[in-house]
Amino acid sequence: MSQTTANTLLPRGVDASHFEQALTQFRALLGDENVLVKDEQLIPYNKIMMAVDNAGHAPSAAITATSVEQVQGVVKICNQFKIPVWTISTGRNFGYGSAAPGQRGQVILDLKKMNRILHVDPELCTALVEPGVTYQQLYDYIQEHKLPLMLSFSAPSAIAGPLGNTMDRGVGYTPYGEHFLMQCGMEVVLANGDVYRTGMGGVKGDNAWQVFKWGYGPTLDGMFTQANYGICTKMGFWLMPKPPVFKPFEIKFDNESDIAEIVEFIRPLRIAQVIPNSVVIAGVLWEASTCNTKRSDYTSEPGATPDAILKQIQKDKNLGAWNVYAALYGTQEQVDVNWQIVTGALKQLGKGRIVTEEQAGDTQPFKYRAQLMSGVPNLQEFGLYNWRGGGGSMWFAPVSQARGSECDKQQALAKKILNKHGLDYVGEFIVGWRDMHHVIDVLYDRTNPEETQRANACFTELLDVFEQQGYAVYRVNTAFQERVAQSYGPVKRKVEHAIKRALDPNNILAPGKSGIDLNNPF
Amino acid sequence: MMNVERRSLLKGMALGGIAGVALSSSGLSLANSVLGRHVPAQAASLALVSAEVASSAFVQGLQAGPAAPPLQIMPAALDLMTLQALQQRLGSGQPQRLIGLLDDASAALLIDLARSAGARVQWLGQHSSGAGRTHHRLLSAQTAHGCALQLGQQLHTCGQGFSLHEQRLHTLTPTLQLASARHGQASDQWAATLGYALSVLGSTDTGQAPLVASRPSTLTGTYVSFSIEV
Repeated sequence: MSQTTANTLLPRGVDASHFEQALTQFRALLGDENVLVKDEQLIPYNKIMMAVDNAGHAPSAAITATSVEQVQGVVKICNQFKIPVWTISTGRNFGYGSAAPGQRGQVILDLKKMNRILHVDPELCTALVEPGVTYQQLYDYIQEHKLPLMLSFSAPSAIAGPLGNTMDRGVGYTPYGEHFLMQCGMEVVLANGDVYRTGMGGVKGDNAWQVFKWGYGPTLDGMFTQANYGICTKMGFWLMPKPPVFKPFEIKFDNESDIAEIVEFIRPLRIAQVIPNSVVIAGVLWEASTCNTKRSDYTSEPGATPDAILKQIQKDKNLGAWNVYAALYGTQEQVDVNWQIVTGALKQLGKGRIVTEEQAGDTQPFKYRAQLMSGVPNLQEFGLYNWRGGGGSMWFAPVSQARGSECDKQQALAKKILNKHGLDYVGEFIVGWRDMHHVIDVLYDRTNPEETQRANACFTELLDVFEQQGYAVYRVNTAFQERVAQSYGPVKRKVEHAIKRALDPNNILAPGKSGIDLNNPF
Repeated sequence: MMNVERRSLLKGMALGGIAGVALSSSGLSLANSVLGRHVPAQAASLALVSAEVASSAFVQGLQAGPAAPPLQIMPAALDLMTLQALQQRLGSGQPQRLIGLLDDASAALLIDLARSAGARVQWLGQHSSGAGRTHHRLLSAQTAHGCALQLGQQLHTCGQGFSLHEQRLHTLTPTLQLASARHGQASDQWAATLGYALSVLGSTDTGQAPLVASRPSTLTGTYVSFSIEV
């Protein structure tokens, strides 16, 4: 997989002399300060949360580019010396691999310094940004210019960025929560150095790049997401107009077995857009963790946390076994009408306690959930990492139909497997229009080698058993990319590798991303 | 019961009398582990600690180090304001070294801020303490050379059971693995030892961490230690 010399880690298939030559050329192109090779400069790129050894994801170098021309220069050098390069934007993909490369020895291309907000149009409600722009930066820009716009982002909101999150097909919690759906226009540096613009972007003098997605002929935007066919250097996307009225609410359900009924209750409201945002149905431990509860507050016994303790936490923290967060947006009249529909449907269901913003006040986790649903950045959800502690976190994110029976089945299956391995079910469902993103944080203690091994075995079993039941994840950490690619079948993989051969014959762009690597036999 | 690592540790102590033992599959010798702090890190100016840590012996350990000017100790929690203040500090262009011991969530954020600010991280440790034993998983740079071994030696002297695993970026295998299977009484000595090790990291100091008196409550749980230089 990789080679080491006495003091140097090399990319796969590259000898020390060629690597040195490549570094010399990187320095000439980017400047010494943008070519990092010392261990103390690279350690922060190697803080992983996956249940594997850090060594498997250690970079040989990290380089930072500041312009599209420099990115073109980087791929030219990489082609010359066959250097595999792993691109990150903000690198805040915690639990999915962080900033570390997918394979040992890959050179990280860090685009954090390409952080210009190129354009925000308050009338058409569009934005065009570079890879290093964070949601906090964009939020500050909107506030500073008093623009009537609202952002949608994932939970690490303040520090993550729209380009990276969308390219990895992440989701948020507003009506614009399916981020790739809201993407409009990409600029991509291809492996041969060409700069390709999707949609209307190739038309000279065009000004519709951020408003019309499809352009003419094949529409290729999706091909570049979760992929290694190009380096995205600009991305356009749509912003939601800030509504005059925003009404967040929570519905608490007392029993774990309520999940099927909750989903049946929510689905019609969501599909009909009565509730327009990506609703969250969060389990008790997710909620407890995000209001600063630690497992050690309740038990020091190893293994899965017993149900009796979960019930105690639920009681102590005034939580539901399931906690539904949704919001209404619009004029007062629109919100009033939809509120009546929601409360009427809940009355018909006959269970669940509604909590409004007025009732919740400043309490967590309601406050941060309301902020996420209204595009206000916060960091509250990082509390998950303190539930069990020890720095281990891997997102297991299977997709399902938005059907009660499916969610019930998935939750029971996941909990059984996690508990068998001595770990907890810390999960939530994010309701898409017709699907559920079932997001489970597999939390474990990396200081304990035995627990780390268990977490790895647990994750493997989750993938295996879910696959046997016809489920697969929509996204995964870099240690399990190859395994997940297998779930989607050989034909898809052959097509993906054929495209890779055509666009990147030297296999320089992020080999291994989503299981696409020309060293594979496809 | 004494495991292989502990037997090796004791053997090393008996033979060398200077510094415990290194079980290094990468072939680093004991002598190499003790020597070779080539580029000294600058003295730490700020220590960030979680609320629980602020009242622990970790701070005693920090304060026993030869920091000049005196180390400022700041309790840090996970919130946007703290984060923004740290971001500003790291990006100020002022040369400085930050050390500390934080909860996992805050540390995940801090280390990533450090990465984005182009900071150098000489030491990144994941620690857990409970049931009379401590575990330490370290990622360290050449500039922290010998520091992990010194920590291991002092942990052994404390008498508590522990395991310590040190990894360097350029090697596939751990550069140092130490363990002692002893089960001692719960104590904060490990925290004082760690605090001291961080405060002298990169210097030529070979002193000992202060011995701490027994406390009504000890620092248990999981934490992350770090040394970050900009």
